[in-house]
Amino acid sequence: MGGQNRVLAILLGVLAVLVLAVGGLSAILLASGSGDDDGGSSGGVTTSSGGGEVDTSPASGRIRLASGDPITLDPHIAGDALSAEYIVEIYSGLMTIDPDLNIVPDLAASFEVSDDGTQYTFVLRDDAFFHTGRRVTAEDVKYSIERASSREVASPVALAYLGDIVGVRDHFFGLADDVPGVEVIDERTVRFTLDAPKPYFLAKMTYPTSFVVDREQIEANPRNWTRKPNGTGPYELQEWRLGERIVLRANERYYGGVPKVAEVLYELAGGSALTRFENDELDVAPITVNDVDRARDPSSDLAPLYTVSPQFTISYIAFNTNVPPFDDVNVRKAFGLAIDRGKIAEVTFNNMLLPATGILPPQLPGFTPEDKTYEFDPDAARAALEASTYGSADALPSIVITEVGGGAEGRIDTQAFLEQWRDVLGVSVEIRQTDFATFLADQDAGRLQMFNAGWIMDYPDPEDILDLKFHSESALNDVAYSNAEVDDLLDKARVERDPEARIQDYQQAERLIVQDAAWLPLYFSQAHVVVNPAVKGWFEPPMVIPRLRFVEVDR
Amino acid sequence: MAAYVVRRLLWLPVTLLIVTFLTFVIARFGPGDPVSIAAGQFRDPEVLAQVRAERGLDGSLLEQYVRWLGGAVRGDFGESFLQQGFTVNELIFPKMWVSAQLGFMALVVVFTLGIPLGLLAARLNGTWIDPFIISALLFLQAIPVLVIIPPILWLFALQFDLMPVGGWGGLIDIWWIGGVIAIPIPDPHLYIPLLSMSLGGFAGVARLVRITALEIQTEDYIRTARAKGLPESTVQLKHVLPNSLLPVVTVVGFALVGILEGAFFTETLLGIPGIGRFTFEAVVSRDYDVIMAITSILASVFVLMNLAVELTYGWIDPRIRLGEARS
Repeated sequence: MGGQNRVLAILLGVLAVLVLAVGGLSAILLASGSGDDDGGSSGGVTTSSGGGEVDTSPASGRIRLASGDPITLDPHIAGDALSAEYIVEIYSGLMTIDPDLNIVPDLAASFEVSDDGTQYTFVLRDDAFFHTGRRVTAEDVKYSIERASSREVASPVALAYLGDIVGVRDHFFGLADDVPGVEVIDERTVRFTLDAPKPYFLAKMTYPTSFVVDREQIEANPRNWTRKPNGTGPYELQEWRLGERIVLRANERYYGGVPKVAEVLYELAGGSALTRFENDELDVAPITVNDVDRARDPSSDLAPLYTVSPQFTISYIAFNTNVPPFDDVNVRKAFGLAIDRGKIAEVTFNNMLLPATGILPPQLPGFTPEDKTYEFDPDAARAALEASTYGSADALPSIVITEVGGGAEGRIDTQAFLEQWRDVLGVSVEIRQTDFATFLADQDAGRLQMFNAGWIMDYPDPEDILDLKFHSESALNDVAYSNAEVDDLLDKARVERDPEARIQDYQQAERLIVQDAAWLPLYFSQAHVVVNPAVKGWFEPPMVIPRLRFVEVDR
Repeated sequence: MAAYVVRRLLWLPVTLLIVTFLTFVIARFGPGDPVSIAAGQFRDPEVLAQVRAERGLDGSLLEQYVRWLGGAVRGDFGESFLQQGFTVNELIFPKMWVSAQLGFMALVVVFTLGIPLGLLAARLNGTWIDPFIISALLFLQAIPVLVIIPPILWLFALQFDLMPVGGWGGLIDIWWIGGVIAIPIPDPHLYIPLLSMSLGGFAGVARLVRITALEIQTEDYIRTARAKGLPESTVQLKHVLPNSLLPVVTVVGFALVGILEGAFFTETLLGIPGIGRFTFEAVVSRDYDVIMAITSILASVFVLMNLAVELTYGWIDPRIRLGEARS
């Protein structure tokens, strides 16, 4: 027993030494470190050098957001919304989208379009600098476009956004060393030549693929430069700890005026955002279907902080028009007429999604509020099935709907649709769930008979959905949809220079596509968030646009 | 003994070669690939083919495997698609380290609570306390981690505000008294994940220890020990305890591997930057190089851990001391 007491005494002794050692050491560190710390974190150092007309009051305060690690901070490779969230704040390009969704010049001070609509001449601002202080020149723009479209960078989205520029295709496939469609006229002027007049070109130029990067930095550090990228945007990357946090710091010499919030902290580790919001660890948190009743309840603490904003996102059921029975338009119509999307959005999603009124979502040019889709009408649905070449439900081949998922059962709304198709039409449809990679492989190979999918707009132009998904010659038309009248309208709209006539073409094409029921449009998404009242000016745009510099924090 | 260890170690590369080749082939035979996932909505077949060629994904399987192997033996596990601009090594080692720390702490909790509880239950066999302990443990073991976390969060973080809701702060935090005296304490971020990860685990260990201890209580040598007049505490500590630990050692070996893989739900729900969630995401998005690296490392750890368990067996129980079994 004496032995045990001795062990205990030794343990206590070690603990005491540890306590004193750690305590003393920490006290020393703290005392010596505190001076530097204060200088760094108080922020708002007034070195204002921005343009004369803009607000030059120093940035201050900090906002805390929950997010995830971007797949890449290289603007030329990024094709996902999460990466774009950061990229649009760190970098900028010739054009951008303002909070009212107008396409406006950004690094460009002005631009001119040639009479035939194929040449765009941009004059750069003279107060645009990289974070390191170097002035942005026309050479930087040319370098950036050539890098983005190069074979070596192998960007999966380069052709989608830059493919209209003369020479980009050849450059991408390694057939040319440069892009003749981008010419440096002088230090401040750069001219783009397109393969045809394309009115949506400016909209595409708002996407990160054409953003300006720093050649010197990339050539000095080709592998790791995105860890401390030298951009031209309102914020610069201060710190990125994978899986933990990203810290953006206001760019004090930003040409659009010093951003109002000095520091933006993104917490990347995950966890329940709403719980952390309520614990005052985050300033913005999304509301999920589990919490929405609480957020809507006027007596709850969340209600005054809760906002809903439309998103440029549509979910739909697609029919492969090559595969029986959906090669028959009447079968597709019958399926559309047999489902009550409004009811299902209410019951299964607690009205968090809007039943889609067509293909173009709210706020997008061309959107019209009236419902263009097939409304729930059981009698008409049965009549359409009878009018089809199959004549009755018994004559239909077996039908499988595929969706992404790993559960034992289908998505809850899909199950509801299945029930309605069975009740109204007497058709039984089977659900097949696959993982995302498998789904994409099957979708691209045209192996899916019928599938659940979604589309997120990349730039605010109807071309980004109608032409890409429904033109019979588009590589992205994965439902084999082909309608000569629609093709004509889309071809015409591609080059139509009168904006109003162009939108009308798209609206007409949309109506035809919806009537042909190549897709059953289901819902338009909405962003549901709660925002800390100390944060002013926060908004949820329908697509990724630069927004942090419009936000203020008051605490 | 030494010969046995050497023989086992020589098998390690062979095992790894088989494991990695099978993983490589299976991963690539799975439908889809990281390029189409990275392309997002713009999956133009012509463009994707070009990107695949540029990324070295268009050669034959064997060719690609040999290239991978060439890098791997030099410790270069390639680059991630899920997290571009970072090498696989940079991505997985910090995450594995976090998971390993958390897992190690969970293991400590599991065994320091589980072993005494099991011994106690065995000791009190025949009274109401034994079935009470066991049914309470069965109840805890039956609750999935996914279910237990929200109520724990609600109670300890939101209601009592005792600990943070999520995140990771390392193992040690300093607790200041009067700004002068510092006491190192486990970081508060640890409490909730440890609680959720160990509730089920220590139940398992306790039940295993109890059943072994009960069996041992009826052994002849225990009866002899009691008969020669040893105090009960000595019987328990010197005879029952060491012999009850033998099966526990087996469990440690397997538990360690499971823990390195990371408790997926705990890490996801509590926002801990560990390897569990990352592995899942890598598999789902066909991030080939990451999948290969994690598989190779876990396979090595698994093989080595098995060897360690076997050697520990011999140390604890002389009857199965390898290579000297002649008594």
